[in-house]
Amino acid sequence: MDQLTFLMGKYAAVLPKDRRYCRNHMWCVAEADGNRFGFTAYAVRLMQDVYFLDWSVNVGDHLQALGPIGHIETSKATADLFAPIAGTLTTINNELLADPSKINLECYGEGWLFEMTGDSGDALSPDDYYQFLEQNWEKTQRMLKGHM
Amino acid sequence: MARFRLQVVLSQAQGKHPAKRALEEAIVAALLVEPGIETAVIPHLYDLDAQHPGRLCLEGIKGDMVMLSWLYSRAAFWLLDRDGVKGREGQICLKPPSEDEEEVEPPKGIGSLNPPDRFIYCLDLRESDKHEDYMAEIRRIAAECRERADAKANAPMMVDLGVKVNGEAGNGSQFSPAKLLQTPGRRWHPVIDYSRCTNCMECIDFCLFGVYGVDDQQRILVDQQDNCKKGCPACSRVCPEHAIMFPEYKTPAIAGAPVGGIESLKIDLTKLFGGTDAINIAAQERDRELVADGRAAVGLSVGIPKRQADKADEPKDDLDKLMDQLDEFE
Repeated sequence: MDQLTFLMGKYAAVLPKDRRYCRNHMWCVAEADGNRFGFTAYAVRLMQDVYFLDWSVNVGDHLQALGPIGHIETSKATADLFAPIAGTLTTINNELLADPSKINLECYGEGWLFEMTGDSGDALSPDDYYQFLEQNWEKTQRMLKGHM
Repeated sequence: MARFRLQVVLSQAQGKHPAKRALEEAIVAALLVEPGIETAVIPHLYDLDAQHPGRLCLEGIKGDMVMLSWLYSRAAFWLLDRDGVKGREGQICLKPPSEDEEEVEPPKGIGSLNPPDRFIYCLDLRESDKHEDYMAEIRRIAAECRERADAKANAPMMVDLGVKVNGEAGNGSQFSPAKLLQTPGRRWHPVIDYSRCTNCMECIDFCLFGVYGVDDQQRILVDQQDNCKKGCPACSRVCPEHAIMFPEYKTPAIAGAPVGGIESLKIDLTKLFGGTDAINIAAQERDRELVADGRAAVGLSVGIPKRQADKADEPKDDLDKLMDQLDEFE
């Protein structure tokens, strides 16, 4: 598969070129009736093993871009989660609720998170997301340090 | 050789939580029959104002001290420091050291101002619900202090006038237990960890309620504690060194949870995933308090640090170490 790799220290985060990327570190693939979203390898790398995933929204809810939608807890981190775009939530990957480890094993495949309708036109190309990661890497490290 | 006595102070929980009271009582009962220990019980340390007999009792203790409280160890230690009960921070071994504990970096803060040569050990009563665990740790500390006192007594030419006389570790007994336990009102104010504080003054610029001031050495000081707005931890969020604690705040990182060990505290990636950052939250919290006071909200226009644009070349920090450790897992 054609892909880019972004180096996080010695770790190489893979960015497949068959999809686009949102600034909140979710990937986006167009589906028949909307878009499927999941965490990028970059996000998963920072989080490490996912222990717990919880959604505060339901299928059918209209979501605002960057409105709160849930919470995740991993071996290294906790975070609130936010909608990547505005639109209606159509499907949640319920298998992850019982066993979120698929996020770690296959973040670009079976570890997908949810599907929603809406305009994903603002999502970045793989090259632009790579640049976005590059531009923010120093800042991200400082931000992370601030929370330690 | 003079008999060494260790002063142990137990600071009660707020309210009347039965499980907490039971643990407190079990510890005190055990302490009372323990040889070589002086015991005092005071209300919740954080709530004591300068006039409370509990504060006066603490100020009267000149030797090594163990403080048992329902506060994170850091928070209790620096709260005592602010209250003028200063000393060096005694190391706690209540829990076995975790396997992947990192080496502790030397503190880069400005430190306590002229702490006397005695040690204060702050034990967090939430670490265990068994009084035996605390007694074992207190015995270990007592032995450590006794050893230090003996070494000091044997050292040649030590002149330590009026600072401490063995056998008079404390004078808590001059206050009756009832007086010591007068219920104080609840308080809310920041506590500065001077082992982290670099005296950058961002907090004094940010806070618009006159909580912060400087002492005669131009060191930052929580000057007017009771000017602080109950429930508002905003200055803690803007502190670049995370040196400001609110011991009663619900988020452990702000309440003074241990820092350094990567297992001890999870990273909050909320901002990375699209959430708003600490500075914005702080500004919102401050605006809420300003408006509640009948003043105008200022948003991000006042006292917001122009932060960290030039921090690139620092030595390895926690994140670097974290990333290195992650890499080693590969």
